[in-house]
Amino acid sequence: PIEDLFDSLNKHIQRSEFEQAVKVADQVLSIAPGDEDAIRCKVVALIRADDIDKALSTIQSSQRPTVDFSFFKAYCLYRQNKLDEAVQSLKSQERNIATMLLESQILYRLGKMDACIDIYQKLQKSKIESLEINSVASLITAGRSSE
Amino acid sequence: NPIVLDLAYNFIDFPSLENRM
Ligand SMILES: [K+]
Repeated sequence: PIEDLFDSLNKHIQRSEFEQAVKVADQVLSIAPGDEDAIRCKVVALIRADDIDKALSTIQSSQRPTVDFSFFKAYCLYRQNKLDEAVQSLKSQERNIATMLLESQILYRLGKMDACIDIYQKLQKSKIESLEINSVASLITAGRSSE
Repeated sequence: NPIVLDLAYNFIDFPSLENRM
C-alpha cells in the first residue's frame, strides 16, 4: 500500500539516501500520479542529490499546475545560472526569508549590489546563520566595505 | 569577488510525511 511506500520514502530521507528516495517517490507516482507530497519529495531529493537538471524537468513535467513549485524552480534556474528566468519564477512568490535569500544571491550574480545589500539589511533582524558572510561580500563587491 | 554562501539551499525542504505513513 501507498503508506508503506511513504514509510520507506521517509526512511531514505532521514538517512540522506536521496537517490533511493527518488526511486520510491517514482513508485508512489506510478500508483498515484500527481501526488503532491511525492512530487515535492522527488524534486527536493533530486536537488539534494545535486541533479538540478532532473529536478527542473520534474517540475516542468508536473501534471499538477495547482502546486506552486516556483521557489524550487527559481532555485534550480539559479543553480543553472539562468538568472533572468530565476527572477521571473520568484516574482509570483510571496516574499519570505527563503525567497529573499535566493533573490539576494541572484542579484549578487547579476552584479546588482545595491539591491542585494538592501535585502541583507532587511534580513538582519531575522538572525540567519552566516548571513553576514554574504552581506559583507556584497558590501565589498559594491565598494562599500566601510559600512 | 568574495565568495557568497548558498543560504537559500537550507530552505529546500521535504514536506512532512507524518500523515501519509
Ligand atoms: K506544477
